[in-house]
Amino acid sequence: MPALSVTLALIIFAAGTIAGSLGALLGLGGGVFLVPFLNLVMGFPFTVAAAISLTTVIATSSTVSAGRAGKQLINMRLGMLLEVATAAGSFLGGVTAQFVSQSVLQRLFGIVAVVVALIMLSRLRRRNVILDPNADPGLLGGRYHEEESGCTVTYRVKRLPLAVGASFIAGNVSSLLGIGGGIIKVPVLNAWCGIPLRAAAATSAFMIGVTATAGAIIYYGRGQLEPALAGVACLGVQLGSWGGMKFGAAASSKWLKILMAGVLFIVSAMMFMRGGR
Amino acid sequence: MSGKRPTEVISPRLERVVGVVLRAGVIASSVCLAVGLVLSLATEGGAVAAWLLNIGILVLLATPVARVVVSTVEYINERDWRFAALTGIVLLELIASAMAALVFNRKL
Repeated sequence: MPALSVTLALIIFAAGTIAGSLGALLGLGGGVFLVPFLNLVMGFPFTVAAAISLTTVIATSSTVSAGRAGKQLINMRLGMLLEVATAAGSFLGGVTAQFVSQSVLQRLFGIVAVVVALIMLSRLRRRNVILDPNADPGLLGGRYHEEESGCTVTYRVKRLPLAVGASFIAGNVSSLLGIGGGIIKVPVLNAWCGIPLRAAAATSAFMIGVTATAGAIIYYGRGQLEPALAGVACLGVQLGSWGGMKFGAAASSKWLKILMAGVLFIVSAMMFMRGGR
Repeated sequence: MSGKRPTEVISPRLERVVGVVLRAGVIASSVCLAVGLVLSLATEGGAVAAWLLNIGILVLLATPVARVVVSTVEYINERDWRFAALTGIVLLELIASAMAALVFNRKL
């Protein structure tokens, strides 16, 4: 493990800031950019990179959810139900990561990066599901006030087993690869389970703190979580996601998505090249 | 479950408590990490710096766990047994992770 120097601290802080702001602009965590940077560019072992990234996921989740709590956008009941699945997946992923080789993890990351890029490209035009505001949201549904349209949005949860399954996979991938996993859950919750995009994203961001913790604890116990490196990255990511959310509205998210999908294809190719050796 | 099912799906008290726990955890861990980092760069890795950095990371990891604990307590208070049980299971899963961490730690 490299000792923390001022230069190293600045590099990781900057990488965290960029990953965090990209994450906020694109509506996903920054981990999908931070892990390949730390592993491929900085040369950290994959598990060390994943552990650092997981702590930034926890920090982002807690910060974002603290700001949103009380605004009814987070569906806490649904979140806590799905956390049963994400935490189980994450626990298994964290244990599995200790027994597979770095090249397997790199190739797996390569596959997930392509999936993330394709999901991003397929969702250039976002769509919200809006039900009759007086409808009964049921046990797991939700209701929130949308500021832009001035409407109250009510929704029911459909196809719960699918949401649970997607959450398990997201949790598993999260702690294996050090990403938040929102990119897997949010499209499923939005497209098939009847949950409006903003509620799905807020609920997912709420859940990934617990998900990432289940994995990060294992990395910490194994001595793969270096507090100084993780600390710098966390502070950078928090600054970046704060900036991304504050100034994000001005950016054109369509072109940014296309650009970042391109970056992810390159990341994927690099992961396969390294992992294939 | 009581006869009158709550029509309002949101529990304002729970949301408020969860918000407070998350914010407190983020602030406490960020302060420990920031001070620890400055100290560790200034003193080239003193014991206090290492201690603060470790505390910062542990507080960060403990924040979501604390959020699950207060949710479980709050659901028990509301006599919402279904969700008390679900959050209780999540808590057990997090404990399982901590156990796995201890096992890995002792082995190596």
